Amino acid sequence: MDDKLLLKVKDFSLSYRTRKGDVEAVNRVNFDLKKGETLAVVGESGCGKSSLARGLIRLFPRNVKNVRGEILLNDRDILSLDEETFRKEIRWKEMAMVFQGAMNSLNPVLKVVFQVAEPLIVHYDTDKNLAFERAKEVLGMVGISGAFAERYPFELSGGMKQRVIIAMALITNPKIILLDEPTSALDIITQENIMNLLKMLKKELNLSYIFITHDIALTSELADKMAVMYAGEIVELSPVENFYSNPAHIYTRLLLDSVPTLRGEKKLKSIPGSPPSLIDPPSGCKFHPRCPYVMDICKTEEPPFYKISQDHFSRCYLSEDKKV
Amino acid sequence: MNSELLRVEDLKVWFDIKRGLLSKPVYVRAVDGVSFTFNLGESISLVGESGSGKTTLGKTILRLYKPTGGRIIFEGKDITDNESGDMRWYRRETALVQQDPFGALPPHFNIYRILEEPLIINNIGTREERREIIYKAMEEVRLTPVEDFAPKYPHMISGGQMQRVVIARALIMRPKLVVADEPVSMLDASVRVEILELLRGMQEKYNTNLIYITHDLATVRMFSHWIFIMYAGEMVERALTRELLSDPLHPYTNALLNAIPEPDPENRNIIKEVPPGEPPDLVNPPPGCRFAPRCARVMDLCKEKPPELEIKERHWVKCWLYK
Repeated sequence: MDDKLLLKVKDFSLSYRTRKGDVEAVNRVNFDLKKGETLAVVGESGCGKSSLARGLIRLFPRNVKNVRGEILLNDRDILSLDEETFRKEIRWKEMAMVFQGAMNSLNPVLKVVFQVAEPLIVHYDTDKNLAFERAKEVLGMVGISGAFAERYPFELSGGMKQRVIIAMALITNPKIILLDEPTSALDIITQENIMNLLKMLKKELNLSYIFITHDIALTSELADKMAVMYAGEIVELSPVENFYSNPAHIYTRLLLDSVPTLRGEKKLKSIPGSPPSLIDPPSGCKFHPRCPYVMDICKTEEPPFYKISQDHFSRCYLSEDKKV
Repeated sequence: MNSELLRVEDLKVWFDIKRGLLSKPVYVRAVDGVSFTFNLGESISLVGESGSGKTTLGKTILRLYKPTGGRIIFEGKDITDNESGDMRWYRRETALVQQDPFGALPPHFNIYRILEEPLIINNIGTREERREIIYKAMEEVRLTPVEDFAPKYPHMISGGQMQRVVIARALIMRPKLVVADEPVSMLDASVRVEILELLRGMQEKYNTNLIYITHDLATVRMFSHWIFIMYAGEMVERALTRELLSDPLHPYTNALLNAIPEPDPENRNIIKEVPPGEPPDLVNPPPGCRFAPRCARVMDLCKEKPPELEIKERHWVKCWLYK
């Protein structure tokens, strides 16, 4: 990993318009991503982690209302680009995405090699035969041999379909890949196989990942740093070592206590209550209604980011002077 | 504690996927030769990957599917071939907690009505007595305040709360045997623990026999007396929970345990050893050990079907390594 800064996200916010009111799906999110680095974004469902990923690659749903902030890719603000430039120069070329459940969206009547080659043919006017060559090469990288490239999706197992999806993300040589729950529908052994593949690709191609998942134990397979999201906000950002050994935010600690482990006799706990509505979120710290250590100030004043150590930030009043 | 509630002998469930006039029928051997006994008051975690036959086994035990071969004996009565007409008593003694709470609850009934349904079908109590039973059941699964939740419809409550309704419905007749089919796989991590603890609490309180079907070995440690491991339609290993986790014998069990991510940041620097490939096609399973094509310790002997051996007291494994 070199230390070159690749992506800088500054005060990124995203809101949707719904019949019941506006939803603040992503609220002033900040983070950096270096070349070859992996950021894992974890949180409960509805915390905005998938919205964040789709926002970064600018695939907004139709009811999007406001998009604010800056996304700097190699110091160039890609959020202010017009749609055509973004499509031509950024999406898939610099940043690709593996969508949640995408393996079930493969076109059943097209051979997989064609589906993998398609971005090259459509976006880059590559000659068909050259594109197929390149597709086969990428399929080889993800462990799908030549014979399978000529098959149709129904002839492949779940794990192989997921490999095809990863090949699709790789074919245009992007620097950043957004992984939205890349193994959520797979069996545990297949999941490990895919994780091994992602690790190898990361090393060989010096890729950066933004890895979105609700499975906290799984993040340890890939993450260099962790972002914990709650109600649209990043509440803690930390190097992965600190995340497991020295979590600062109360929500992070409770989240870690709810992770079942195979070994060790730790008692599992659950977090009481459920995440708030993003249409009318609580005042102050959004976690305060569920927090066992809630203080008066948490109910009214939004906590600032406290710096715990190098690269470790927590948005919790108790992180000030590490009171807890 | 040791009297037997359920015995399953060489159970086979084959589904025919192709039947012609002249051609031979083609079967998927979803469950192929499973045997075990289940004593009163115990609980089992049935673990396996998708397609291993764990759900089929669970549903066949409840006689929602008809077995192709073998026998199911419940409290000494052979229920293998009972027709649905004389199964009503068995339906009362057993229950299913479905995997997907979003699909398991009728959208046009409110919670009160959903819980009243089994009581009405089984002619339990007067209207007032039923109300008492329902309110008590709702309190037990912590759907409180009861008066607030009772009139709500499924779409008005969260996934975790829906799963509580499903559990309350399954347990309201105080069944002796409950099959919970991946009861938390559709729920958020933070809610999972709560639902599992609830299920375990109810199991202990009423001494219900529980079969907990899951693909997630990490959640079973806190959960059941036994762990049964299934692979490709067969039971490859079964033992008491602590014993199985501390001394896993079958290569598949080892692979499964090895694949579970433990929260350790070191993981990102290592490539784990994982068996290659995928489980076999159950239309044409390998003739011998079904794990042999993926097994790192495969031998010539594995071309033949391994017997189920009791290696230690109450620890069975189906593998030639231990012959």
